[in-house]
Amino acid sequence: MAISSAHLFFLLSFIALSLFLVISTAETESELVDDLQTLQSQSKSGVIHLDDRTVSKFLTSPKTPRPYSFLIFFDAAQLHDKSELRLRELRQEFALVASSFITNHNNSNTKLFFCDIEFRESQSSFHLFGVNSLPHIRLVGPTVKSLKDDSEQMDQGDFSRLAESMAEFVESRTKLTVGPIHRPPILSKKQLGLIVAILLISSPFVAKKIFAGETLLHDPKIWLSGAVFVYFFSVSGAMHNIIRKMPMFLVDRNDPNKLIFFYQGSGMQLGAEGFAVGFLYTIVGLLLAFVTHVLVYVKDARAKRVAMVVAILVSFWAVKKVIFLDNWKTGYGIHGFWPSSWN
Amino acid sequence: MAATETSTATVPTLYTNTLRNAFGGVLSFFILLLIGVLAFSIRLFSVIKYESVIHEFDPYFNYRVTQFLTKNGIYEFWNWFDDRTWYPLGRVIGGTVYPGLTLTAGTIWWLLNSLNIPLSVETVCVFTAPIFSAFASWAAYLLTKEVKGAGAGLTAAALLAMVPSYISRSVAGSYDNEAVAIFALIFTFYLYIKTLNTGSLFYATLNSIAYFYMVCSWGGYTFIINLIPMHVLLCIVTGRYSSRLYIAYAPLVVLGTLLAALVPVVGFNAVMTSEHFASFLVFIIIHVVALVYYIKGILSPKMFKVAVTLVVSAGLAVCLAMIAVLIALVASSPTKGWSGRSLSLLDPTYASKYIPIIASVSEHQPPTWPSYFMDINVLAFLVPAGIIACFLPLSDASSFVVLYIATSVYFSGVMVRLMLVLAPAACITSGIALSQAFDVFTRSIKFQLPGVSSNAEVDAGETSSATAEAQNNVVKTEKTETSKDRPSRKSKKKEREHVEKPSTKAKAEKKRLLALPLEASFISLLLLVLLGAFYVVHCVWAAAEAYSAPSIVLTSHSHDGLHVFDDFREAYAWLRHNTDVDDKVASWWDYGYQTTAMANRTVIVDNNTWNNTHIATVGTAMSSPEKAAWEIFHSLDVKYVLVVFGGLVGYPSDDINKFLWMVRIGGGVFPHIKEPDYLRDGQYRIDSQATPTMLNCLMYKLSYYRFVETDGKGFDRVRRTEIGKKYFKLSHFEEVFTTHHWMVRIYKLKPPKNRIRGKTKKSKSKTSSTSSPRKSGTKKKNPWH
Repeated sequence: MAISSAHLFFLLSFIALSLFLVISTAETESELVDDLQTLQSQSKSGVIHLDDRTVSKFLTSPKTPRPYSFLIFFDAAQLHDKSELRLRELRQEFALVASSFITNHNNSNTKLFFCDIEFRESQSSFHLFGVNSLPHIRLVGPTVKSLKDDSEQMDQGDFSRLAESMAEFVESRTKLTVGPIHRPPILSKKQLGLIVAILLISSPFVAKKIFAGETLLHDPKIWLSGAVFVYFFSVSGAMHNIIRKMPMFLVDRNDPNKLIFFYQGSGMQLGAEGFAVGFLYTIVGLLLAFVTHVLVYVKDARAKRVAMVVAILVSFWAVKKVIFLDNWKTGYGIHGFWPSSWN
Repeated sequence: MAATETSTATVPTLYTNTLRNAFGGVLSFFILLLIGVLAFSIRLFSVIKYESVIHEFDPYFNYRVTQFLTKNGIYEFWNWFDDRTWYPLGRVIGGTVYPGLTLTAGTIWWLLNSLNIPLSVETVCVFTAPIFSAFASWAAYLLTKEVKGAGAGLTAAALLAMVPSYISRSVAGSYDNEAVAIFALIFTFYLYIKTLNTGSLFYATLNSIAYFYMVCSWGGYTFIINLIPMHVLLCIVTGRYSSRLYIAYAPLVVLGTLLAALVPVVGFNAVMTSEHFASFLVFIIIHVVALVYYIKGILSPKMFKVAVTLVVSAGLAVCLAMIAVLIALVASSPTKGWSGRSLSLLDPTYASKYIPIIASVSEHQPPTWPSYFMDINVLAFLVPAGIIACFLPLSDASSFVVLYIATSVYFSGVMVRLMLVLAPAACITSGIALSQAFDVFTRSIKFQLPGVSSNAEVDAGETSSATAEAQNNVVKTEKTETSKDRPSRKSKKKEREHVEKPSTKAKAEKKRLLALPLEASFISLLLLVLLGAFYVVHCVWAAAEAYSAPSIVLTSHSHDGLHVFDDFREAYAWLRHNTDVDDKVASWWDYGYQTTAMANRTVIVDNNTWNNTHIATVGTAMSSPEKAAWEIFHSLDVKYVLVVFGGLVGYPSDDINKFLWMVRIGGGVFPHIKEPDYLRDGQYRIDSQATPTMLNCLMYKLSYYRFVETDGKGFDRVRRTEIGKKYFKLSHFEEVFTTHHWMVRIYKLKPPKNRIRGKTKKSKSKTSSTSSPRKSGTKKKNPWH
């Protein structure tokens, strides 16, 4: 009997305990969501900052179907200055998606939370996710058990178009709508007002100056140097470098101490290369103009002669260099069509 | 020259000058004639090396439209609904093309025929572009002459006649809009400058008409309608407003916009899209400024100061209201009223970020520095000197040239295609630079040559430096005199310029004493001539080798001689002769224009890619398995499917290489086509590692059907690999024709089986007998037959 009562006691206590446990888990679930929401509201952009402790609290310890999904941005402060990774830009875009998502759902959403993790602070979490390269964005769904294998990684292509493509990724995987991205205007309303006010106030003065004809714009030298600069800038292919984000030079793969300034193949060019050739293009014209328009007014015959010789040599060298570089880069064999009897 | 000098030494200088001018005029005329001949003949390489054919894909469409025009007349053309293309939708041709080119060629043809010169329409079309290149170099002469005198004009014309960038778009047979548009562009600019220099309403009206012709010819007319307002604004801002400026600009905006709206393809866009708003804004500003100048003229300086505050505040209010309206208009239209292409010009990174379709087109890529050397060659060295020459002294006309070169060089940096707009500007500035350099160097040599008496020295110095200017000045002073008689109130600017003229003459007198060292000038002259010679060699090479190969006939040089691949025309001719007139032919859109023009058969999609869904349907069919593809094609009434295959001869731009685009475009509309299904680990391959989806899709099957019979291994020379699936049968398609080099393969859709089984067999036996002898010869080797 004693045994049975003991049994009964155990049984009862077990039931009570399990009941308590069930209640407690239910409680903790809603608690967790509450916690997350307070964390979310504390952050300015709506991105929750995770560390090792919170990762275990929200992701590893709760039981699997969790009532929420996480979209996690893996960040590393020490890599922010590496421009080719674009971490800063992506982090901002990520925050943009987060804030747009929250405002589009009027703060009532409890399904998806946007988080970020910093590498220095939480290295073990990085290990937990098996993240070893950045940029990296990962979606942890409610049913994900192993953070490393089950969670879904966002492809490079998905954040190539920044916030919009991130939103598409989220929409396609979670069946949640993100809605329109609310980009902050480039100028805030106050700044815009200020600028308009300044323009309005200054406009009579500017107009007066223009009518009087004594602005900087009336100086042809400004226009001249502007035009030549635009020319130099364009023929150097700088626009190509900006659009393609080409570096100024490359490091030689075979010999890390050597730098490559000139790239062979006509479809691509490096920054320094473009500027060098643009300079060669421009210098010849400038020297020609100098000789025809300035040098003729010089009185000293000796100075004239020296200047002309220098101009001729430099121009000749520049043209020769460009022709050589062009042949080397493109590989075209430009040849004349002479009568065959001349050969 | 020397003879005339000695003979006229005693005659009064005025008389000498007129004789000189007459002589120079005749000489210029013959030089211009030769330049025209040069411009025409340098573009004939394609005709000499190949034959008199039309080259690319787009020109075939223009050719077909011209044929229609000459056959049916202008009104039929205007209302032409083309049912041979975009089946079953069709296309309204009259309202969707820029009619300038076709109307021009049609007119030339009509004129020649009424003179009893029976040229075919094709011949006229082939030679339209070279003829208009000659016109363009003459227009460049006129424009540069207005800016810096006849010498610079002749140099610029000679340079433009053979600039490679322009040759690339105007060789004989490249019958495209740009061929006439560049002429129209330069001529419009010339008339604008002419109006600006003379203040004559006659030229202003001509200018509007030239602008109308430009609008008819090319979408690039927006460049004009933005550049001219920019120049007007620049003149106003730098205090160069004059009534001549008003006459040059205001009629152009009013008449030009009205005329532009007459072109169906432009229509109300001329007033409703943002590309045109700049001109209206400047139109308002120039009126405000004109009012200010008017009030300034009728009031005393003191009263004017009072008035200026009034007018400026009122004017500003009006301007602000207008700007607000404009901004509201812009903001209310989709894409803020700007087309994607224009936006990508203003913000160069725009296209690569947001519009992959525009960014993916090769002629929309930003150029690298070798492109400049290829397309304008040594002009790239001369342009800065020309820019500086334009500033010494700065006039209304030369400031326009500076603005033109600065904007066009910037735009060409964004899109390699716009190099075409840069080329004339580069020629004009380089012409100015070269002619001034020659002027200085030859003057120095002539001045210091031993054996020339000091008396002749003075004379020679004056004439050589002043001929160009003098001629120009004579014209100009005459013009100013005549316009002075008119009661119109000239601004002070005019007077100032009038005062300037004698001073420039005095300057020229001073200049004759200024010379450079003899031997150095001699070497410089030699080097400049060498530079010019290099330019000529490069241009001839570019015209002969780089830009004269038609894409319809291909050639290749190998160790055993020249090979000609004429497969395209073989296939189109087969279609024309062996299929029913109303049969529909499906192919990728690249070949649409050619199929309609050369085979005269209806196509599903063509190079005017206006309907993405329709293209996606064809793309989906090509990427689907045979049965699904058959269903799609059958639903479109397609009888024949044409694929281009380069694996046998190594022709790289075939359909297999374009196939990923078909998948992408198809998948964009029909999501069941997914690009990763066709890629093995992100790699596009057709060998044994290829995915099953790839090996079963229609494009693979139609391209490689029976391919293994050619060499026993199925080695693809473009992809440089053996193909993945070698032996397979077609269940829903049958091969009806394969060209000599297998470059074009035509398949027929099998009719639905359960209805006319007996007929199928009959047609099969018939088609096999009509197909090429190679096929019947190799047929027995095929283990599946």
